[in-house]
Amino acid sequence: MSATETVTQAVGALTRTATEVLPETIFDLQRQIEARIRRIPTRLNAYGYDPWGFHPDTARRAMLVTALLYRYWFRVETQGIANIPPGRVLLISNHAGQIALDAAMISCACLLEAEPPRVIRGMGEYWLPTVPWVNELMVRTGSVVGTRKNCIDLLENEEAVIAFPEGVRGMNKLIWERYQLQEFGQGFMRLALETHTPIVPIAVVGSEEQAPAIANVRSLARLLRLPAFPVTLTWPLLGPLGLVPLPVKYRITFGEPMTFEGNPSDEDEVIGEKVEQVKASIATMLARGLAARRSLFW
Amino acid sequence: MARAPVEGPEQLFHFAEAAASARVAPASEPPRAVAEPVETVLITGIAGGQGRLIARRIAGARCRIIGVDRAPWEGHPADVRMYVVDIRKRKFEDVFRTERPDAVVHHAFVRHFRGDPEVRHEVNVLGTKRLLEYAIAHGVKRMVVLSSAYVYGALPDNPYYMDEEFPLNVSRTYPEVRDLAEVDTLATAFLWRHPEVATAILRPVNTLGYYVQSAIGRYLRQRYVPTILGFNPVMQFIHEEDVAEAVALALQTGAHGVFNVAGPGAVPLKVAIRETARTAVPIPETIARAVFRQLFRFGLYPTPPGAMDFLKYPCTIDGRGFERATGFKPLFSLEDIFASVRH
Repeated sequence: MSATETVTQAVGALTRTATEVLPETIFDLQRQIEARIRRIPTRLNAYGYDPWGFHPDTARRAMLVTALLYRYWFRVETQGIANIPPGRVLLISNHAGQIALDAAMISCACLLEAEPPRVIRGMGEYWLPTVPWVNELMVRTGSVVGTRKNCIDLLENEEAVIAFPEGVRGMNKLIWERYQLQEFGQGFMRLALETHTPIVPIAVVGSEEQAPAIANVRSLARLLRLPAFPVTLTWPLLGPLGLVPLPVKYRITFGEPMTFEGNPSDEDEVIGEKVEQVKASIATMLARGLAARRSLFW
Repeated sequence: MARAPVEGPEQLFHFAEAAASARVAPASEPPRAVAEPVETVLITGIAGGQGRLIARRIAGARCRIIGVDRAPWEGHPADVRMYVVDIRKRKFEDVFRTERPDAVVHHAFVRHFRGDPEVRHEVNVLGTKRLLEYAIAHGVKRMVVLSSAYVYGALPDNPYYMDEEFPLNVSRTYPEVRDLAEVDTLATAFLWRHPEVATAILRPVNTLGYYVQSAIGRYLRQRYVPTILGFNPVMQFIHEEDVAEAVALALQTGAHGVFNVAGPGAVPLKVAIRETARTAVPIPETIARAVFRQLFRFGLYPTPPGAMDFLKYPCTIDGRGFERATGFKPLFSLEDIFASVRH
C-alpha cells in the first residue's frame, strides 16, 4: 500500500467520522433544547408568543448556537443551579468580556441544567430596538428593553430576570482590572424590594479573560456612538476574526437566594447597604472560584 | 369621516346577549352610577362604522339615541334620531338644547389624511372643545370620549404594557396626528375640572373588524403590505364590537378616568399579516421613508411617513385598569379578529 493511498484513506475516514459525528451531536443537542424549551413555565398565546414577544420556536434555533458555544467552546461548568427558586427571581451577576456572552451562557445554563428549565429575561440597552434584526432576535429570545415597567411586569408574571448592575463599566473593563467588581447600580435592589423578589447572586469565572482588552479608545467610541471601543489582543488587528473569544473555561456559580425587605424608595445609603451585601456575596464566590481554578483553559 | 354599510343587526344582538351572559361583575369597588330607566344618549360621529356599532350596542328599551354626524346614516334604526350637523357649527348646540342628553359618546374624529389638514384639526380639536363646553352648559351627567392608544406613540424605549400614566409621546415622531393627542389632553383636563360629570376617556388599541374604518384596517387590507426590513414589532388588536362593548360598559358603570382598552393579546406584525392572508413586502427603511414621503406629498398614498414608526417599535398598552373598573373582558379572540378582515 502506497503512502498516498494511506493518506487518502485516513482523510476519507476522518471526513466520514466528522460528517457522521458532528451532525449527530448537533441533532442531539437540538432535540435536548426542544424537549427542555417545551417545559418552560411560560404561558403562550394561540400563535406561540408570550406577552413580551418571546417565541420558543425562534428561541430554540438561536439557543442551538449558544448551546454549542456552551458545550464545546467554553465547556461551561455550573454549580448550585438548584438555588434558583421557582417563580419570580432576579439573577445578579458580574459582567465582563466586551461581548455579553456571560449573559448567553447563564441563560443557556438555566435552560439546559435548571429544573424546571427557565427562560432568562434580559434587560436590553435602550438602543438595541433601533438595530434592524437585532431588535427582533432580542425580543424573540425572551429579552426586552430594560425599562422599569417591563422589569416589574415580568417579575409580577413570575419570570426570571437577569441584571448586570455593573453595566458597561464591567463589560468594557481592561484585562488588569479583571474580577474587580465595578460600582453597582441600585435600580435592581429597588425593583426587588418593590416586587418582593428573591435575588440569586451569580459569579462567572472565565468570562473576564475571554477577550483581554488592553485599551479603550473613548474618542472612537464617541464617534461611532458605541458605549466603548475596546482594543484587545486580536481586535481590531485581525478584523472580524478578532471578535472570536478565547476558548476559556467558564465556571458559573449560583449563590443561595437572598431576600430583602424594606422601602423601595429609601435613600441611596440605605439601599446601598443592601446592594453591598449582594456585591460581597458575588465577590466571595469569585474569590473562591479563582482560588480553585488551575488553568485558564480547562 | 369614514363610512361603511351596516347590514342586518342579527349578529350584533346575538353578540349583545353573549356579552350579557359572559360579563363578570367587577370584583372590587361598585360602579359609581347605575343607568336610569330611560335616558338620552348623544353619539357624535354615529354614521361611521364604529359609530353605528356603538349605537346598536347601546340601543334598547332604556336608551333613547340621538345621532350627530356630518354625513347622513341611510336606513338608520327607527329609534335613533339623526341630526346631520357639523360639530364645529352653531347648530350643534341646538341639538343639546332641544334633546338635553344625559350622556354623550364623543367619536366624531377625522383620523385619515385624505382631506384638508386644517379641517381635520378643526373638527378634532375645536369640535371637541365645543362639545365639552356644551356638555357642561346643558347638564350632561356622563361622558365617554373615544381616543386611541396611538397617543402614546411608537418609540424604541417604550415598555410593553404602558399604563395610563405614560406620557403622550406620539407627536415626537408623528407630528401629523398631534391633534389626536390634543383631543385626549383636552378631555383629560375636562375630566379633572368637572368631577360631577362621570367621564371615561378610552384608549383602545388597533381596531379591526368588518365595519370599522381604521388606519390599521386599511393597512392590513392591502394585497401587498409594506413592512420595514429588519423590524417586526409586537402589536395588540381589538375587535370593533369589543370597542362598542367597552363604550357601553363605561356608560353603564359611570366609570370616571382615563382607561387603556386592550384586546385579547399581542402578536408580531408579520403574524398579523400572515393571519389576514396578505403578503408582507419588507422595504429598507431609508428607501421606504423617501418613497412614502413623496407619495404622501403628492397625495398618492394616504398615510404620512411618521406612521412608519408604528411598524418598527411597539405601542402596546396595559389594559388592566379598565378591567378592574368595569369588569371588561374582550369576547373576540385574535383568531376572530383576523378572520374579520381576511375576506
